[in-house]
Amino acid sequence: MRWRAAGLLLCVAVLAVSVLLSLSVGNQYFGAHDVYLALADFSGSDNDRVIRYLRMPRTGAGLLAGAALGLAGALMQGVTRNPLADPGILGVNAGAALAVVGAIGVLGVSSLTGYVWFAMGGALVATVVVYLVGAIGRGGATPVKLALAGAAISALLGSVTSAITLLDLSTLNEFRFWVVGSLTLATGSVIGQAVPFIAVGIVLALVLGRSLNQLALGDELARSLGTRVMVVRVAAGLAVVVLAGTATAIAGPIGFLGLAVPHVARTLVGADYRWILPWSMVLAPAVLLLADVVGRLVARPDELQVGIITAVIGAPVFIALVRRRRLAAL
Amino acid sequence: MLRKSVLPVLLLGLLAGCGTSTAAGPPGSTITVKNCGIDVTVSGPPKRVFAAYQPAIEMAHALGISDRLVGTAYLDAEVLPEYASAQSKAKYYKNLPSREELLAANPDFVLSGFNDVFSAGGGSDESFGSRKSLAELGVQTWIFSPLCPTADGKGDEAIDPASVTMDNVYADLRGLGTLFGVEDRAEQVIADQEKRIAAVEAKVKNAPRPTVAILRPGLEGGALTVSGGPDFGTVLIKQAGGVNAFTDLTSKRNVKIGVEELIKRNPDYLLISGCCDAALTAASSQAEVDKILANPAFQNLKAVRNKHVVPWLFANHSAGVRGAYTTEDIAKTIHPDLFK
Repeated sequence: MRWRAAGLLLCVAVLAVSVLLSLSVGNQYFGAHDVYLALADFSGSDNDRVIRYLRMPRTGAGLLAGAALGLAGALMQGVTRNPLADPGILGVNAGAALAVVGAIGVLGVSSLTGYVWFAMGGALVATVVVYLVGAIGRGGATPVKLALAGAAISALLGSVTSAITLLDLSTLNEFRFWVVGSLTLATGSVIGQAVPFIAVGIVLALVLGRSLNQLALGDELARSLGTRVMVVRVAAGLAVVVLAGTATAIAGPIGFLGLAVPHVARTLVGADYRWILPWSMVLAPAVLLLADVVGRLVARPDELQVGIITAVIGAPVFIALVRRRRLAAL
Repeated sequence: MLRKSVLPVLLLGLLAGCGTSTAAGPPGSTITVKNCGIDVTVSGPPKRVFAAYQPAIEMAHALGISDRLVGTAYLDAEVLPEYASAQSKAKYYKNLPSREELLAANPDFVLSGFNDVFSAGGGSDESFGSRKSLAELGVQTWIFSPLCPTADGKGDEAIDPASVTMDNVYADLRGLGTLFGVEDRAEQVIADQEKRIAAVEAKVKNAPRPTVAILRPGLEGGALTVSGGPDFGTVLIKQAGGVNAFTDLTSKRNVKIGVEELIKRNPDYLLISGCCDAALTAASSQAEVDKILANPAFQNLKAVRNKHVVPWLFANHSAGVRGAYTTEDIAKTIHPDLFK
């Protein structure tokens, strides 16, 4: 118990370091002093502007989207007892991205508080469709079948998103980032608007930890222990839709983060969701920010979108999980 | 260096016992002109021409072969005023046709302003197929020489920077003039271009050389797209008395850069390369200009401080007969005192 809390503090320290790296490393390197000056004593110099108007929103987007996706992944794994559950793999992010592109491109919605609802709606519809498709046939919704259904639906939704963004190159160029996630498009005001949504999702997710532990024992046993299984499922689903939807509204569809980080957390702290959830919430943004920093450095003067980096890191984890024999062990 | 030679080839002419063949040639003779390393052979001036992309469409009108166009596709902006009436009579496809649609128009010649239509996995969604595969069907093809890929089927990644010259536009005009039997018209167009460009170059000769960046509107995946060294804009900016701020990026014509790279390079002028609609004008990019001027991250850019962010057109910096027009246009923007 005590070491888990200490470990969580260590995770927070790792997160703090990755925030500092995200503010200082990129096309140009800024020392801690430059970063401090830009935040505390803004003078309007080139450095100050790059840090405050480019790297800060970017870091904020990484913090919010990372925390949201880490939690969403842990929740999905817990509530479905599916080790392959991840908002990216199960099509939730792709559904949200398509809904956002539709809202912005077709309906002309322009503020995050406007299109975040579409993102959540898209996330919800995609989740349901993936579940229904995955449940067809013998054996019901097994983890691998759900993952396959999610991949197929993601590909379908992603190609519709691409098609919309290609329809009108002149005005929709900037929405191409909805095809692969990126932290660079969110401005300070967008992030401010997203904070309350993420906060609601975080609270909802964290209070579910105990119930998820009981769900892990199986529906029957959980029920006999007094857990209202259906209520927990719906609440968790709601939290996933809010978290993954908002994360996608900020940063586009980012995959694998919600898959890999909860597994890392589970390896470190054991099967207790009261710990897996907060560890995932803190580790995921650290991983996302570090991935973004890597993306800034490997293809200069261009930058690789963070969604590409997380896929490169996360795909081997996914393969390792699928190949594990005790797949349905959660 | 890309070379282009005009080689009248005698085939049937010899069999029939005729003496020589000129470029215009007696019936039965063929003409061959080399384009991007590929022999383009016609047995008479092509009569059914398909022009893909703005530069090809404008060059066809400039050469006076508008009445031979069976189709024109994918304008990036309004055509220059001198071609407006001719273009209004041409059949127009908003998007590039597929290979099948193209062949359904039964062309005997495809003139393309960019190389991607003939590249297998090129930037465009529609590919006409490689030039060889079209030649096998009796359809001759032509790519603008400043965009020659090093091999048939390849695209922008394979442009030889040394071929990105106005001389190669003239070589295209001459080559097409020969194939289409409009040599005199071609020479007139070349003379006009040379005269106008020389006039600008003389005027800006001793002026300082500001740096100019050509920037696509919007962000793609959070990155900006600028014109790199192999883009024809580099030549045009130079002729106009400036320097492309991204000349050293030579991997492709359109290079993606992070936003911070633009701030670091801090060019004197930003030309916003608005694109891709037959009714587009430079003013259409004004909204993007306003966005850049208002972006707090860009407030220290020289171009932003001096309001040197210009709504502009992608069509302007494509290789072709816009060369003289665009050289004048950029020069007026970056050397306003010399062009009062």
